[in-house]
Amino acid sequence: MSRVKDLQKNLFGGTTSNARQFGMIFTLVAIVVLFQILTDGLTLRSDNLIALFQQNSYILILAIGMLMVIVAGHIDLSVGSIAAFTGILVAKAMAEWNLPWPVGILFGLAIGAVIGAWQGFWVAYIGVPAFIVTLAGMLLFRGGNQFIGNANTIPVPEGFRVIGSGFLPETGPNTGYNNLTLLLGLAGCIAVVWRELQARRTRKEMNAEPIPMWISILRMAVMVGVLIFVTLRFASGRVGTSFPVSGIILVALVLVYSFYTRNTAGGRHIYAVGGNSRAAELSGVKLKRVNFFVMMNMSVLAALAGMIFVARSAASGPQDGNGWELDAIAAVFIGGAAVAGGIGTISGSIVGGLVMAVLNNGLQLMGVGTDRVQIIKGLVLLLAVAIDVYNKSQGRFSIIGSLTRPFRRDTPAAPTPSSGAEREPAKTTVAG
Amino acid sequence: MSDVPILLEMRSITKEFPGVKALSDVNLVVRAGEIHAIVGENGAGKSTLMKVLSGVYPYGSYDGDIVYKGEVSRFSDIRASERAGIVIIHQELALIPHMSITENIFLGNEPRKNGAIDWKAANRQALELMARVGLREDPDTLIKDIGVGKQQLVEIAKAFAKNVKLLILDEPTAALNEDDSQHLLDLLRGFRERGITSIIISHKLNEIEAIADRITIIRDGHTIETLDVKGDGVDEDRIVRGMVGRELHSRFPDHTSKIGEVFFEVRDWTVRHPISAERLVAKHSNFVVRRGEIVGFAGLMGAGRTELAMSIFGRSYGVYQAGTIVKDGKEIVLKTVADAIANGLAYVSEDRKAIGLNLLDDIKTSTVAAKLSKITHHGVLDQVEEYQAAEAYRQSLRIKTPTVDEGVSKLSGGNQQKVVLAKWMFTDPDLLILDEPTRGIDVGAKYEIYGIIQRLADQGKGVIVISSELPELIGLCDRIYTVSEGTITGEVARQDADPENLMKLMTSTKKMQTR
Amino acid sequence: MRKFIGKTVAVGAIAMLALTACGSGRDEGTSGSGSEAKGFPASSLIGVALPAKTSENWVLAGDLFTNGLKEAGFQADVQYAGASTTVADQQAQITAMVTKGAKVIVIGATDAAQLSTQVAAAHQAGAKVIAYDRLIVNSPDVDYYVAFDNFKVGQLQGQALLDGMKAKKPNGPYNIELFSGSPDDNNSKVFFDGAMSVLQPEIDKGTVVVASGQKDIKQTAIQGWKAEGAQARMDQLLTSTYGSKELDGVLSPNDTLARAIITSVKGAGKPVPVVSGQDSEVESVKSIVAGEQYMTINKDTRTLVKQTIEMVKALQAGNTPQVNDTKTYNNGSKVVDTFLLPPVAVTKANAAEAYANDPKLAPLTK
Repeated sequence: MSRVKDLQKNLFGGTTSNARQFGMIFTLVAIVVLFQILTDGLTLRSDNLIALFQQNSYILILAIGMLMVIVAGHIDLSVGSIAAFTGILVAKAMAEWNLPWPVGILFGLAIGAVIGAWQGFWVAYIGVPAFIVTLAGMLLFRGGNQFIGNANTIPVPEGFRVIGSGFLPETGPNTGYNNLTLLLGLAGCIAVVWRELQARRTRKEMNAEPIPMWISILRMAVMVGVLIFVTLRFASGRVGTSFPVSGIILVALVLVYSFYTRNTAGGRHIYAVGGNSRAAELSGVKLKRVNFFVMMNMSVLAALAGMIFVARSAASGPQDGNGWELDAIAAVFIGGAAVAGGIGTISGSIVGGLVMAVLNNGLQLMGVGTDRVQIIKGLVLLLAVAIDVYNKSQGRFSIIGSLTRPFRRDTPAAPTPSSGAEREPAKTTVAG
Repeated sequence: MSDVPILLEMRSITKEFPGVKALSDVNLVVRAGEIHAIVGENGAGKSTLMKVLSGVYPYGSYDGDIVYKGEVSRFSDIRASERAGIVIIHQELALIPHMSITENIFLGNEPRKNGAIDWKAANRQALELMARVGLREDPDTLIKDIGVGKQQLVEIAKAFAKNVKLLILDEPTAALNEDDSQHLLDLLRGFRERGITSIIISHKLNEIEAIADRITIIRDGHTIETLDVKGDGVDEDRIVRGMVGRELHSRFPDHTSKIGEVFFEVRDWTVRHPISAERLVAKHSNFVVRRGEIVGFAGLMGAGRTELAMSIFGRSYGVYQAGTIVKDGKEIVLKTVADAIANGLAYVSEDRKAIGLNLLDDIKTSTVAAKLSKITHHGVLDQVEEYQAAEAYRQSLRIKTPTVDEGVSKLSGGNQQKVVLAKWMFTDPDLLILDEPTRGIDVGAKYEIYGIIQRLADQGKGVIVISSELPELIGLCDRIYTVSEGTITGEVARQDADPENLMKLMTSTKKMQTR
Repeated sequence: MRKFIGKTVAVGAIAMLALTACGSGRDEGTSGSGSEAKGFPASSLIGVALPAKTSENWVLAGDLFTNGLKEAGFQADVQYAGASTTVADQQAQITAMVTKGAKVIVIGATDAAQLSTQVAAAHQAGAKVIAYDRLIVNSPDVDYYVAFDNFKVGQLQGQALLDGMKAKKPNGPYNIELFSGSPDDNNSKVFFDGAMSVLQPEIDKGTVVVASGQKDIKQTAIQGWKAEGAQARMDQLLTSTYGSKELDGVLSPNDTLARAIITSVKGAGKPVPVVSGQDSEVESVKSIVAGEQYMTINKDTRTLVKQTIEMVKALQAGNTPQVNDTKTYNNGSKVVDTFLLPPVAVTKANAAEAYANDPKLAPLTK
């Protein structure tokens, strides 16, 4: 087998999740490099990277929840309104009841859970389509936001703002970098190497064909290289800044949810329900419970996103959350999820979100107005999905498809030749 | 007789699908003004033949000639055949539930005046047509508000609206009760008197015998014979002999069952249809399964075999009414599929693509899908165990795939079926219910699957096989129950089973006498 | 395996070294007040962040800033917030301006209370922040505020309303309705308070009656300054209150809302009452000349932009910009030095005179 084939198989068509993640980072890097050139190096400057994460962490957090909702075959239009509703409640609670801010955060998450239970109830147990339930929720909670806030802007205390605009403290010896960010980066590098070794060991245990050593090394080197680069960038910002706290929350959520969706029965069930709900049901999956969970989980994350935005804006305002659902949904689809459900990954959605974020940021740095930015983003969304769909229909190599393995939907194979090619017209079709 | 003019002649029709010859040199002669029945086992080729006739398979996609009214016809689609007066009424009625009778009768064929639909004329004509088929209803009634029998009549009225010359009815009485069936048959006799020609496809041989002038028997894509009911003194036995007349080859691996004691028993099982409350899909059914035994469920399409099986499997079909399940001497209540799996039941569905598999999954994911708890430790899926389990089944069931990372959608039907079997074997069941386990699978793969079923029985598991192919049941099963209209109508031991007696029980409507 | 780990570490180390080598030392950040006297190069970038293009005035201001700053030799980066995600857009735009090294950032805030983080970042990066037209609140990092005297605007609107009604009908009592601007815009309350300072004594005397009883700013506010909001509210008021009563005047905080109110009244087949306005929008000037809308306020955007650019120039030269109010405008964190411009009330009577210098509006008055 030639090296090129090796590479293609293991980097793009490979079967380990590592290959998938590597391919994703590669795609994103291409876009970053493009803007790095177009903006004369502003894109990758420390302060811009930090701002990029702070500005988009809440959308990316929404994308995590939205991915799970969409994989399960639903949609959630209410996330922006829920974020705004939670934001105003938390801001008011802290201002009027003098709630300490950590309690405020817990309060916000509890609101998200209650709203999620409400929406999950309608979707899972009554069977109202999620589109309708969340369209109603969008109106309900937007109205709730205005009702409670009287469309006022309510400031939040300093401590609370940490989750939106805070940084890691400066501690330890003066290295010329933010030490805690360096430590985080180091932990990341170790994790990457450990995972690669773990993956190799797993394949060995499985007696599967091992990935050539040089590919493992290349993959690790690139990942570690990117991590080091990013770490140094984040660590070398203005004194007092570092990898942002909202970014840390995001990374933690990405890790937890990636693990959940990939390595637990609950995660599998979400894909099973989205892929073929009837088959899932007949395999013992509790449909209602899965649907309830994804809807509820989405609302909790929306509440968190709302609080992070409020913390970053230092106040909860009536415009909060407008249009967020669309950004989150776009991120998920650019990240390779299928409209019909059953396909998609957390990391794909994060990359999708980052592609949009970098695009937005790069265009703003170039001084392009919002009107044109919106046009460009619309076209990118359309093209990204269209190219993927077209390539799949042509049976060609598909970047997004290769990224989302092994959950991709193949073009239906030619009908299996069968002695029963002439069956009676679908018999006793068992309803349901 | 021979002086009666011939309306339709299909001459040596051959229709091939990739890899399969569905029809081979089929001949059919229909005389003007007669009721002509076409009978044959499921999969014999009846529907394909009708699809060729009605233009679903357009001219050019088959070999042979259709001579209709003395001319060779070349229908390009259904509309073309309908223009010629050939109208087919499928078993699944093509009616829109939320439209009125009038709207349905004229759907796609609306009388117009100045470009707008002339509802006055439509209603008037609808009343005329309804009178011709003996349907007394307000033409504004919605289809969903009238019974299946009347819906059937609306379909026929719709055919008359298209000026039908040759009416084809596919299993017209399958969903009808006794009275409605009788009414329909009388109607067909009335049409015959008025010179309308009908072709009727039916499994109900008593009806065929009662109504048909001539019967053409099709088996395995060949015309076997055409019988003249009055002239040849045809009765049900004669028809059955023609339908199942083939010999059973040694299509089954040699096997001697080691049958143990009864461990699974269903008593008085009654389930109603999920939507229509008055319809029972299972009626007081009783059956038992012994360890190491392969039990067959024979029945015609719509007999309620699948419904019975699924309702037992965690009430995944219909609404439970009455009945108990006893396993290993203890009564068990299975309210959900998860309960059923936990109690050692497995159900391999007849439609593996629609409800058996998630076609987006790969082989290993599918293999473990029904029992993730088995490979979950401390809440985390062990992907090594997953791989190893899938790999073990790949080898033992000889699933033809390079790796278990392959998507199931890429596999052939036989290999997909093996994955489904693996998925359910992975749950360590005591009782496997296999619904049409060899549907759409080639002969070689069938043989392998029979072997797997026999091995499962040898492990002491009970296996229920639901199949529409009688030879398969006779060749594979130790005991066969016949099912008709949701009721178990008979029980035949292997040594006593032959297609004739099974077919009789399958078409009977009498409940089996419980021992 | 060991060899392989070794290689990885080596690659990592090389990458680390390469990056460290080219990485620059950390910037300590320049605090805003310390470097005041220095000024900055005349070709520096000046950022202007404006709200969404919901009114002609913002579009005009944007064009004036682009041209005016260019003429003065600066590089201008003028941005509008997007239509739906206004606050988030503006936050990102300000951050991008900071990244690009803007020396002065002029902000017409979308939500004046939600920008403190970005303003602080701008300040830390050494940029001066001028709040344009809307005062940014709860932030110690706003350097200057430039605006028209909005309390005065309200007073003029209230007075004109009284004058107009008297001219039509010499004796009261007069039935009026009150409208106010978007609750997330700081100025809404100021306009309203200004107007009420004139109207309240008359209401107390009973010569002016708010027939619907809706006098609270929460009841009169129109979210987002949206015309359809004002029209809907007016429709409802007409149905609920003016079945038989006559409506004499409506206090409208700006022209867009004034026209919406007039549309609603006309739609209901009622005579057009005396309606106040603000901003001198083209359609409203036409309406005033035609005798429908009674008055508007001329807050000449040209003057305001010109004054702002003067401030930027002063900062560039290292001077302290001229201000005329250092007491009134407390934003919650500090008193912001302010330059207030006087507004002018315009009715049909003085329209020609007031717009004589405006190339777009002058022809309309002839």
